[in-house]
Amino acid sequence: MRRIRIVLAAGVLTGAVLFGAGENMILAGELPAEQASSHRSTLQVAQASSESQKPPSNKSGTSIGGESLEDILLNKGTITMDEWIKIKAEEEYRGAGRDFRLDSIENFKTNVESLPILTDKVNFGLNALQWLYTHQDAHVPEGKSQDNISIRRSEFLFWGKINDTIPRWHALYEFQSINFGNSTPATAGATGTPVSATFFRESYIDFRPVQAWAPNLNYIRLGIFRMPFGIFTETSGGLRDVISSPYLTSVGSGLGNRTGTAGTIDFIQERDFFLDARGKIANRLEYAIGIMNNNNFHANATGSNQPKAFYSRARLFGTDVSFVSFTTILGESNNAGTNINGRGKGAFDRWAIDARYTSKLIPGLMIQGEWWQGHDGANQTTVGQGANGACQITAICGGSGAPGVQRRTWYVLGKYLINDGLFQNWEPTVMYEQFDPSTGTSNDLYTRTILGLTYYFENFPPKVQSKIQFNYEFRHHQGNGPGVAYDSTFDAFAQNAFLVQFQIRFM
Amino acid sequence: MFANRGAAIILACLLLGACGAPQLFPKSVTDGVDANFNFIAWRNTPNAKVDRKVQIGGKVLEAGSQGNETIIIAIQLPIVEHPAYGPKDTGKRTGEFAIVFAGTLPPHALASGHRIIAVGTTQKAKVITVEDSKRTLPTMQAHCVHIWKTGGRDIADFSSVGAGYETLEEDTYCAPGY
Repeated sequence: MRRIRIVLAAGVLTGAVLFGAGENMILAGELPAEQASSHRSTLQVAQASSESQKPPSNKSGTSIGGESLEDILLNKGTITMDEWIKIKAEEEYRGAGRDFRLDSIENFKTNVESLPILTDKVNFGLNALQWLYTHQDAHVPEGKSQDNISIRRSEFLFWGKINDTIPRWHALYEFQSINFGNSTPATAGATGTPVSATFFRESYIDFRPVQAWAPNLNYIRLGIFRMPFGIFTETSGGLRDVISSPYLTSVGSGLGNRTGTAGTIDFIQERDFFLDARGKIANRLEYAIGIMNNNNFHANATGSNQPKAFYSRARLFGTDVSFVSFTTILGESNNAGTNINGRGKGAFDRWAIDARYTSKLIPGLMIQGEWWQGHDGANQTTVGQGANGACQITAICGGSGAPGVQRRTWYVLGKYLINDGLFQNWEPTVMYEQFDPSTGTSNDLYTRTILGLTYYFENFPPKVQSKIQFNYEFRHHQGNGPGVAYDSTFDAFAQNAFLVQFQIRFM
Repeated sequence: MFANRGAAIILACLLLGACGAPQLFPKSVTDGVDANFNFIAWRNTPNAKVDRKVQIGGKVLEAGSQGNETIIIAIQLPIVEHPAYGPKDTGKRTGEFAIVFAGTLPPHALASGHRIIAVGTTQKAKVITVEDSKRTLPTMQAHCVHIWKTGGRDIADFSSVGAGYETLEEDTYCAPGY
């Protein structure tokens, strides 16, 4: 009886092995000769074992000297062939489970590898996290301090590349600045109400219509982003060489007056909603040309307040990193519904020339400058203060009641990054700038000299730049036009300031 | 009148230049470059094709100095004209190779991820230690190299790195005598 069982079991095993061999032989044809022969030899060993009625060895199970424990037990007659087959079946079942788990891991790996974050479709970065300490000499109202600690920027950046046709999508969120901006009502004397948060700061899509046209027509950019106006406007806050924004972005405080020189003036908005085409010709001439809402980043909520404005910039490269460029912005502006300080009703234009010299002879030396001039229509207003039309009777049209003005500003900035020695990674910086709110009016000039010192913990722009900056600003403001009473005591643009900023940036 | 003519000449020059690949190297250096060079064949039998003048694009993996020489280990990338001229990462890895440059290069030019085009002659394979393991790599003796300091990004994507605009630094370095 026992012999019959053994023969039966051996027959079952032989059949199973032969069935497996068939599969192996099919595989062997697909495998390299060396591997195929090894399969064949395994098969031969297995066949030889069944013929001699010795159970095949199982290396995956518990084995002693090449024989598994159950083989020894079977040979010694401790277990029956039925039990031996049962043990083998369980082992095979476990083996199948192991294979299944390995396949699952392989599938998981394949899925992980195709995740958007690993295929450049989605990326995450910290554009700038900036801690700022400011001391200003200007007096402040009751309840405020001349010493201020704040988070200047807390900008998280998300971007990706879908393919060569959509080479970039981009979204930046400014978590520091979640306050609401005011609307500018079209009624004299009225005050605007909060309309939208600036949490949503940048979002754009690049679209490259024809690969073969690039880089001559590199892509069409649609969205809200830093505008291609000169150098500073387009430089990320995380890469700027001085802490304060230049006067060409914003200058002054309070409300406007009849001279057109007082109040806050945002000469060039940093961001806007736009559609433009960009490219580079002959690796030397870079251009951007497009149209925009001309109503700053709040315009997503408030909408455009005027016909679109046209803009263009042509940048001619002398070397890979030194250039001169020309910018124009042309259109109409409204004072009602505006989200930009200092805009009036009527023709609006900006003209600029900028240049940057990055020295190859003296590595670390960089000098740049911008010169801007432009006209703002009559009756400029401050955001949130009612205005409607170009008339200069504030009781009727609100606003400042000022005539149209020509404004002008320029700056020069130089810096030198020390590359070795005791002061390696320190960078002294100096900047001088002027802003003339009205070229036809005297006694209104803003000037500022900034002396800066920066230490870089990591400096691999544009992706990484962690640093600490010390800036001392010598500020001067002549006044708000001839014959206008002016007290500089509380004017932050007329009193010096000291700033320290610690920044982390990675992407 | 003169201004108009000048503008027309500049425009014509730019438009003419716009259609061709930029001249990165002196003409004497690129003269005689094997236009049909097959990188994969060279990688498979590096010692079979010695002293051939070639131009290869790639991405810097690692670099270091040995005496007066700089050795750059790079991953080969195809050189494309669009969307921007230079080596472009297409996602397919064809292999690594070594560039031997007679001279020193500034450290910031050799950061990992920078794009590079080298013109030079093929040499016998060298055994080079890459990340603590010895590798036999096909090797070229570079006459000139051109490096785009992209830090891992593709050349065409560089201007949009970060939340702003940044110019892309690029430089050509030639060994003494070229």
